[in-house]
Amino acid sequence: MPIVFACAASHAPGITAWPEAAPPAQKERVYGGFDELRARLDASGAETLVLLTSEHWANFFLDHMGAFCVGRAEAYAGPIEPWLKIDRREIKGDPALAAEIVETAYDRGVEPSFAYELQFDHGTMVPLSLIMPRMDRPVVPVLFNTLAKPQPSARRCLELGRLIGEIARNSPRRIGLIATGGLSHDPGERNHGIIDSNFDHRFLAAMVDADAETLAGFSRADFAAAGAGAFELLSWVALTGALGGAKGEVVAYEAVQPWATGVGLMSFAAAA
Amino acid sequence: MSVYALQKLLRDVNRIPERREAYFRSPAEFAAGYELTDGERAALLGFDVRALYDMGVHGLILRPFTILHKMSDPEYVKALRGGP
Repeated sequence: MPIVFACAASHAPGITAWPEAAPPAQKERVYGGFDELRARLDASGAETLVLLTSEHWANFFLDHMGAFCVGRAEAYAGPIEPWLKIDRREIKGDPALAAEIVETAYDRGVEPSFAYELQFDHGTMVPLSLIMPRMDRPVVPVLFNTLAKPQPSARRCLELGRLIGEIARNSPRRIGLIATGGLSHDPGERNHGIIDSNFDHRFLAAMVDADAETLAGFSRADFAAAGAGAFELLSWVALTGALGGAKGEVVAYEAVQPWATGVGLMSFAAAA
Repeated sequence: MSVYALQKLLRDVNRIPERREAYFRSPAEFAAGYELTDGERAALLGFDVRALYDMGVHGLILRPFTILHKMSDPEYVKALRGGP
């Protein structure tokens, strides 16, 4: 079955925690973009979703940090942040699909860690609450270490994405993919609030063109220069790998100062 | 090199409701449960955001912790960039 839905979306906590801080026109365009993604998800008939998302210290700490972690739980809860203005709730997991991802990856020389218990924070809950507010499809979270050096390379993320895409296409079920995070931002760090729109446009252009080689060529230094949060774009690179060349469309891009983030939303045609 | 313990403390406050309540009930008592240096304890109990950052606390641990303290984004940026 082709991948029936794919999108990428920023997850800045300000989107839900302090939406009123954004200039109204920007807020409207971002929220309009999320409405569009929600409509496309609903129209796609997707039965289950793989969430390519960022670890933000919600689950892992420096006592044990892996590059990737696949969630195999029956259910997840989130958000952990009481200030996010998203009600805490439970979201069903899809352990069968998760097992297939883990086992296939191991057979093919990529060894993600896996977990039967994970919590969701803003990195997953902000986009999910806007794209799938009823939380009515099961999910498989795939967490990326975007925090602790060394983060996985973009090329490795592309490779993991390709595996996930292949599994999704070979599945008899209708699978959707959501990548979350980015674009340029330096959350909580010295350059908090500084947005690098030039970087954002360069990255988005490569995503639109599904230019896997350019995306795989983004180095740790490239991401770091666009702020610590730009490493979250590793999940977007993985999405391009999963989609195997499907071109993307920028649904919205706004450099939203009060949210301290270059906020981008992309949608991708169903990948063959 | 116990910034590890300091980050662990802050992260516990951020993500575990019972720890959060215990911290806000009595920061000093709560801090006694972690192996902090004197400087780290002072920065924590004095809510010295710049000092906590300079000690090496990760931004995605520090910023959520300061949000729990109702610190706005402009206040946070000022705390980090202001001063020497």
